[in-house]
Amino acid sequence: MIIHLGHYMALSCVLFSIGAAGFLFRRNVLISLMSIELMMNAVNLTFIAANRWQSAVPSADGTAAPVIPHDGHIFTFFVIAVAAAEAAVGLAIVLAFYRLRKTVRTDAADMLRG
Amino acid sequence: MPPASIQQLVAFGFFAAVAVASALATVIMRNPIRNAVGLFVHVLSLAGLYISLSAHFLTAVQLIVYVGAVVVLFVFVIMLLGPASEAPTDAAGRLPRAIGAGAMVAAGLFLASVVKDLHPDRVANPPGFGTIESVGRQLFGPAMIPFEMASVLLTAAIVGAFAVARSHHGKVSMSTGEPADGSHR
Repeated sequence: MIIHLGHYMALSCVLFSIGAAGFLFRRNVLISLMSIELMMNAVNLTFIAANRWQSAVPSADGTAAPVIPHDGHIFTFFVIAVAAAEAAVGLAIVLAFYRLRKTVRTDAADMLRG
Repeated sequence: MPPASIQQLVAFGFFAAVAVASALATVIMRNPIRNAVGLFVHVLSLAGLYISLSAHFLTAVQLIVYVGAVVVLFVFVIMLLGPASEAPTDAAGRLPRAIGAGAMVAAGLFLASVVKDLHPDRVANPPGFGTIESVGRQLFGPAMIPFEMASVLLTAAIVGAFAVARSHHGKVSMSTGEPADGSHR
């Protein structure tokens, strides 16, 4: 049995659904944020796995060596940057929310309810 | 079967099993510090999977950013909140949430069964694929503008996180959240 793109994709589907289920089911803000990180990591895995089996493109004039594509790696790099920014801002919001409500339950966040 | 593919199979099986188990631990555990440890193990196992895909640069980035920064940030916040970080649960509204979560898992397993047979012709791994040099050439070539935008985003995130998390000494009552002097900011 040889490991192929499909195996990584299937694993990534399972990890994403675990993260999404956790985001829907848990009421703790911290665990919701961790579930978002799980989903982002699953997406990163699909990017890197797809890039691994992406074929090289010939160079423009056809004489130089073919260009090795790293598009998935570049995307993953930016997803990691955005995830780090999101974690920093999200945890700051958790702290501000706790300061207001003395709890980290998501259904206590009803300050904007009309 | 060549030895290389056995190695690959063992590495993939080990890291995939650890990734799924630690993702479940991240979602299920009651004590938030255990969730954070689950997330820690999860990002480590994903770094292992990245190595098996010969993404060396991103393995390093994953270890530095996730293990070194994001998980530590989560642990800092859990420590700061103390026992309050474990939100009490109640049964109200549990059924619709369980239905939603179950539907997500069912959809994920269905999708996994669809994509698991993807079987492209394997391209030979060209020398230099995924190394810091080759990714850096793309990052500072075609992806130059997004790379600079990322630095703007991170600066904005730092300033935003500071502005949101900063405590307003004496301005906000800790019990009600109302401004202590009666004025609204």
